Amino acid sequence: MPDINLTIDGHKISVPAGTLIVEAAKTVGIEIPVFCYHHKLDPVGACRLCLVDFSPGPPRPQTACTTPVSEGMVVRTQSAMAVQARADILEFELANHPLDCPVCDKGGECPLQDFTFRHGYPTSRIDGPRLHFKKPIPLSEKIALDRERCVLCYRCTRYYDEVAWEQELTTDQRGVQSYITSQFDQPLQSIFSGNIIDLCPVGALTSRVWRFESRPWDMTSTATICSRCAVGCSVTQWQRRGQLVRVTSHENDDIDEGWICDRGRFDYTDVNDPLRLRTPSIGGTRSTWAAAVNAVASGIKGKGAKLGVSLPQDITNEEAFLFRRLLDGPLKGAKVKMHGRTAIPAPAGDTMRIREIDDARVIVVVASDLENDVPIIDLRVKKAVSKRGAKLIVVYPDGVDFDRNPSTVHIRNAKGQAAAEVRKLASHDLLKSPGGFVAILFGDGHGSEDMDELASACGDLAGKVGGKEMPLYRATNERGALTAGVAGWDSLDGVEALLSWGPPPTAGVPASVKFIAAWDHLPRAGYENAVVFPAATFAERQGSYTNVEGTVQFLRPPVALRQPLMEGWQVLCELGTALGLPLDYAGIFPIQRELGIQAPEPGPAPTPVLVGPAHP
Amino acid sequence: MTELRGSSGDASHHVLTRWFGTPDLHRLETYASKAGGYTALRKAMLDMAPADITNEVKTSGLRGRGGAGFATGIKWSFINRDAPGPKYVVVNADESEPGTAKDRYILENSPHMVVEGILIAAYAVGANQAWVYIRGEYDRPYQMLTEAIEEARAKGYIGPKPFGKDYPLDIRLYRGHGAYICGEETALLESLEGKRAQPRSRPPFPAVKGAWGRPTLLNNVETLATVPAILNMGGAEYAKLGTAKSPGTRLLTVSGNVRKPGVYEVELGKTFRHVIMELAGGPPEGRKVKVFWPGGSSAPVLPESMLDTTTDMEALAAARSMGGSGGVIVMDDTHCVVKAAHRLLKFYAYESCGKCTPCRVGGDWAVRTYERILAGQGSQVELDILQRVSDGLQNGRCLCGLGDSAGWVIDGTLRHFREEYEDHALRHECNVGKVAAHA
Repeated sequence: MPDINLTIDGHKISVPAGTLIVEAAKTVGIEIPVFCYHHKLDPVGACRLCLVDFSPGPPRPQTACTTPVSEGMVVRTQSAMAVQARADILEFELANHPLDCPVCDKGGECPLQDFTFRHGYPTSRIDGPRLHFKKPIPLSEKIALDRERCVLCYRCTRYYDEVAWEQELTTDQRGVQSYITSQFDQPLQSIFSGNIIDLCPVGALTSRVWRFESRPWDMTSTATICSRCAVGCSVTQWQRRGQLVRVTSHENDDIDEGWICDRGRFDYTDVNDPLRLRTPSIGGTRSTWAAAVNAVASGIKGKGAKLGVSLPQDITNEEAFLFRRLLDGPLKGAKVKMHGRTAIPAPAGDTMRIREIDDARVIVVVASDLENDVPIIDLRVKKAVSKRGAKLIVVYPDGVDFDRNPSTVHIRNAKGQAAAEVRKLASHDLLKSPGGFVAILFGDGHGSEDMDELASACGDLAGKVGGKEMPLYRATNERGALTAGVAGWDSLDGVEALLSWGPPPTAGVPASVKFIAAWDHLPRAGYENAVVFPAATFAERQGSYTNVEGTVQFLRPPVALRQPLMEGWQVLCELGTALGLPLDYAGIFPIQRELGIQAPEPGPAPTPVLVGPAHP
Repeated sequence: MTELRGSSGDASHHVLTRWFGTPDLHRLETYASKAGGYTALRKAMLDMAPADITNEVKTSGLRGRGGAGFATGIKWSFINRDAPGPKYVVVNADESEPGTAKDRYILENSPHMVVEGILIAAYAVGANQAWVYIRGEYDRPYQMLTEAIEEARAKGYIGPKPFGKDYPLDIRLYRGHGAYICGEETALLESLEGKRAQPRSRPPFPAVKGAWGRPTLLNNVETLATVPAILNMGGAEYAKLGTAKSPGTRLLTVSGNVRKPGVYEVELGKTFRHVIMELAGGPPEGRKVKVFWPGGSSAPVLPESMLDTTTDMEALAAARSMGGSGGVIVMDDTHCVVKAAHRLLKFYAYESCGKCTPCRVGGDWAVRTYERILAGQGSQVELDILQRVSDGLQNGRCLCGLGDSAGWVIDGTLRHFREEYEDHALRHECNVGKVAAHA
C-alpha cells in the first residue's frame, strides 16, 4: 500500500499505511505522552493520556495510540483542546499517586515525572487524602509491587496475557479500588516475569535485586549481549563503582524484540560477590600470574588423553579459537567437555534466523521445552501464533506452555521416539498445504533422543513441506564452539589432570584426578589444593558469541577489569606460550581479524524526541 | 411488589403495550391468537428479502431505545450480510440505568414480542445465533424469557427450519453478574466472552468486530420489541407517529416523587409536563416539581421551568440533555439537589470499571469533594474542583459513556442549581424546603 501523507503540528510527513498517530509523531521528534500504549503490545486507549486533536474527525480529542493515520489528516498536539486534555489526565493520574519520589527507585527515569514536568499543570489542587494500599507487596523473590504508585495502565497484565501467554498476573476489584495482583497471591513463577519491570511506566513494579541500589544518573550503561543462553538477547548492563548493578532489556527486533528472560535479568549478582577470586594462587597460597601459569603448564603438559578439560558454556569465539590451537598442539588428545551443550551436531550450513519465525505459516517444535531451553524464542513463537496466524505443532513427551492455546497440536511422543513422530508429520493435515514456509525447531530432548536420527528426520520433513530448520543449541556459545571444533562431549572419567575452566564439571571431579587447574571467578569446594586462575566474568571481558541462529554478536563489557585479573584470551596466550606454543596477540582485535569477524559500525542514531512546551 | 403500570391515554398510540393486560399474553398461543404474534416473523422470512426488512426499519425511523438513540435501520445495514463466517445478534437486556424498568416491563408482560423481534433482526442481518445478555438480578424476566424461547423452539420458530425455511435460528441466554458497565455495548461483549467487563476502544465497532471478533448487531430489548409492530403496520405508518426525527412511541419509566410511578407508553413529541403531571399524577399534595432527569440518571437534569420540553430526542438535545433510556426521575422541592448529585456520583464511582483514568479517578475524587461540601467543609476550591472534574470527564476524555454521564450529573446540576451548591459550599447551609434537610 502507498504511504500516507499527513500534517502533524505543521510538519508534513509521509508514513506507511497503518501507522498509529503516536508513532507518526515520533518520526519528527514530537512526543505524545503515553502510559498504556507500548509499541510491542496491542493498543487499548485506556489511560487517555495521548489525546490529540485531529481533523477530519469528531469535535473531541481522540487517542493517538489507537488511531491510524489517514490521507490528508491534520493532527494538532498543541491545540488548547489537546494540551488541556493531557494536563487533565495527568492531574487525575497524580490524584492518588503517593509522594514517593525521594524513595522510589523509578525516580530519574520515570515517565510520570517527566510528563508531568513537560505536559502537566504547574500547580496542584490535590489536597485530599489519597487512596492507600498495603505496600510494597512481593510479587516474587525478584519483583516488588507498590499498588499506590500504580497508574493502572495494564501494561503488565496485557504483556502477560498477550506476549507470555501466562495468567498469573491480573487485576482485582473495580473502579478506583482496582489493583494488580498475582493469582491467589502466589509468587510469580514465569521465567518472563521480569519484563514487567521494564514495562511499568512508574515505580509500581520494581526489581528487588536492584532495590535502593542507585539513581539512574549515577550509573553508566552499555548495550551488550546476554551470556546466559544461546539466544543472545541484547541487554543493557548498568555499572556503578565497578559493580554490575542492573540488567535491563535492549531492543533487538531480529532476536529478542525488547524482552529478556529472568535468567538474563537477575542472574548477575555473582559478578559483585565479595568472595570473588582476584589473584592467582597455588594450593591456597597467593602467587603471581607467571608462577601460576607455569604451574598449570607443567601440570597439564604432555598428558594426552589423561588430561580432561571442562569448558564454560560462555566461552567466546576468540577464546575458542585460541583453545583450538592449544588442542591441535601441546594439548593434543585431551578429553574436552563443554558445559550445558546439547547433543545436537554442528549445523550443516545456514539455518533459519529467529526473525523468520514471524513469517512462518506453520511452526513445528520438536524435542524441546522452549520456555526453559531458549526462552525468548518461545515468546517469538507465541507472537507468530497469536498475532500472525501461524499454526503450531509440538512434539514433546510432557506438557508445555504452548498447551494453553487450545489450537496447539501437541503430539506426546514416547521418550526417544521423536524422530519417528516427525517422520509421520509430513502427512499431517496442517502440513498438507501450509501456505508458506514451515519453521522446524528441534532440540535434543535433554539427551533422550538420537540426534542423528532426529536431525535427519527434521531435514527430510523440511524438504517435503518447504521448511526451514533451526537446531536449538542451548549453551551460550555452543554454535561458536562447534564451529571452532572445541565443543567437546567426551567423558572426563579416568583423567589425571583437570583443567576446570568455568564452573566445576556437572558430573563432579573424577576420582582419578591428581592435578587440578581451576579457572573460575568464585572459590569452589574441592579446589583448595588446586592451582587457581581468577576468571574475568561476562561483564568484564570482550569477545563475541555465535548465537543459536549463527549470528556473531559482540560483548561490550560495562565493568572495567580490575588488575590483576586478565581476560580469557590473555590467559590463553600466556598459557600457550608456557606450553611451548607462542600465542602473541596485542589485543582482541587481531584475534577477531584472524577469525574474519568484526564488530559492526554503530547504526544511525534514532530521531531524538523533542520536548514540548513546559506548561499548557 | 408493586405492579408496574402501563398506559397512556389514547389507545391508538399503543404500539408496544397494545395487548398488555391480556391474560397469559406471555404464552405463545395467546400471543399468536390474540395479539397477532409471529405474523411479522412469518412475513419477514417467507415474503420479504432481508434487505427489504432492513429498509422497512429504516423507513420507520426507529431510533435505539437503550440510550444512545442511534438510527436502528442504519445500524442494521452496517452488518455486511454477505461477508463469510458467522454473524451474531446480541440483545442488551442489562437494563441498569437508574430510573429505568421498561425492558423488565416488556419481558414480564410479553416476552414473545422480544423473541419475535430478535428472530426478525437475525434473519435481516444474516445471523443464525442470537445471545440475550440479561442482568443477573432480573430473575423473573429471565425465567419468562427462557420459557418463551422454549415455546418458540417447540413450535419450530427457533430451530433448524423456521417456517420450513432453510435458515437455522437460535437464541441463547447469558446472565450478567452485577455491573452497570455491562450495559455498555463493548463491555457487554467482553463479559459475554467470559472476560473482565471493560469497554473496548472503538473503532472497530461491533458491526465490524463484535462478539468473538465477528460482525455483531447489538440492540436494546425495547428496540427489538418494536420491530414486529413496524413490520405489521409498515414503516411509513410508524413514522407518522411521534416527530420527524424521533418517530413512534417509547416506554418512559416514571419514578420518584410522583403519585403514579410506572411505565408509560408515550408518543414522542408529548411534553414532560404531560408525562409527569398528567400521566404520573404529579408530585404529592403540597409539593412542586423541582428537577427531573428526562432519560435516566445519565441525562443532564432539567429544572421545573423546562417541563414543557418535549420528549423527542432533538428537543432534549437542544435543551442540553438527552433522551437516554427514558427513565424519568422526578424530584420535588423537599429534596436537596446537591445530596442527590452526591448519591448519583457514588453510583458512578462504584460502577466505574477502572480502565480509563478520568472516570476511575475523577468519579471518586468528585465523591470525596461532595462529601467535604456536604459536611460543611467546602469552599470555592471545592466548587472549582467539581467543575474541573466534570470538564475532565466529558468530551472524549473517557473511554465510554459512563464517565461522560458522571460528568453530566455534575455539569447539569451545577448549571441549573448553582445557588444550592453555593449554599452548601460557601455558606455551609442547606435551604431546601420548609422541611429540615434529612440525611
